[in-house]
Amino acid sequence: MKIPFSINSAVYELELQPHETLLTVLRNHGFTEVKSGCEEGECGACLVLLDEKPVNSCQVLAMSVRNKHVRTVKGIGTLYVPHVIQKAFAQRGADQCGFCSPGMVIATFSLLREHPNPTREQIAEALDGNLCRCTGYVKIIEAVEHAAAELRNTKL
Amino acid sequence: MLPNTIQWYFPTTVKEATKLIQKKGIILHGGGTKILEPQPRGSIKGLVDIGSLGLNYVKAVGKTIHIGSGATFADVAQFCRKKNILTMLGNSLGSAASTPLRNRITIGGSLKDFPMWSNLYAPLLALEATIEITGERAGVFSLEHYAASTLIKSKHLIKEVRVSEKKHLRCGVKAFHVVRFEYPIFNIAAALTMRENIVQNARIYITGVKKKFLRLESAEHAIRGKSITDETIDKAAGQISLTFAPDYKFSSGYKERMARVYFKDLLCEIQQGIV
Repeated sequence: MKIPFSINSAVYELELQPHETLLTVLRNHGFTEVKSGCEEGECGACLVLLDEKPVNSCQVLAMSVRNKHVRTVKGIGTLYVPHVIQKAFAQRGADQCGFCSPGMVIATFSLLREHPNPTREQIAEALDGNLCRCTGYVKIIEAVEHAAAELRNTKL
Repeated sequence: MLPNTIQWYFPTTVKEATKLIQKKGIILHGGGTKILEPQPRGSIKGLVDIGSLGLNYVKAVGKTIHIGSGATFADVAQFCRKKNILTMLGNSLGSAASTPLRNRITIGGSLKDFPMWSNLYAPLLALEATIEITGERAGVFSLEHYAASTLIKSKHLIKEVRVSEKKHLRCGVKAFHVVRFEYPIFNIAAALTMRENIVQNARIYITGVKKKFLRLESAEHAIRGKSITDETIDKAAGQISLTFAPDYKFSSGYKERMARVYFKDLLCEIQQGIV
């Protein structure tokens, strides 16, 4: 069946099976910036914003997303027009293999919109659903703080 | 895994949704996190999405907080923090699972499924919550009755949970888990009505035990009419008798000992006004 989806401010008619997750449907249709990690809601690699709230797309059945807006990391910034958060991650060495980065950026984007000047505790809470097996998190937290400083007084 | 023949329904009224779930193999879909867990083959034939039923609310009416079954853990935690009410519930749900999962796990789904690791039940039981359900056994029940009776297994839709704010209540909840985002082994919650530092009434519950939940009546009895001191806390902890199922991480005995430690810590923190 074909279902209309609103993804990154554009409407797409996507072919899907009724049992498929949002992660599967997005990746099957080329949104490969949404990474497939644990598929159990533990790692955060597949994070997207659903009506502007971060969710694990592997834990969302695609059919339930009708009439909701999905934003992937490319809806925040792209390779050629990166968002301040993405620049901060690159500048601070907060990505190594880069697999967790799309999810980290989504979680950071959501955090900074709510808390423009987050405490370390708020950063840890916002990233509690994102695993990184390379960096040890120190650089990531520094990147979030750097992005927050850059974005202060700027509406996300 | 769900079959690819699964049928979706998008009702707009509670009545319509309740009627749909009376059919065999048709269940409710809130956040969907539980549904994605492995299910017996062929057990789910249809999903009734509750997204259009208007049940995703948290509101205060007078001294009663009404939590719609479609509200997520994040919705409730945020409401409690903003309004500075039901702090115990807000803290418990605000630290459950992870941020993205809290944005999906619904109150209704978590109450109906009652997983052993539930962060929701212990605080709600201690706060004397009531629950309104529809279906063949429709009505308003105490949450304790709902969870302990066959009601929880009946074909029903949870409309909302209600918690009334009470005066002189001091509450706290503690969860035992290995790492922060992992499912808790058990949750223990206490709501103590206190006047001039004397415990007038106590409701203390633990979840994660073999019987899913237990009211610690003997411990409540040991502190009722007394002020909370190290001595009364030790005495009350000595009254606790719990049976846990062992798992690959911990033996039953270890969990029981940890429950006593957490019980003592909880009462100490309530006494010191930390929680």
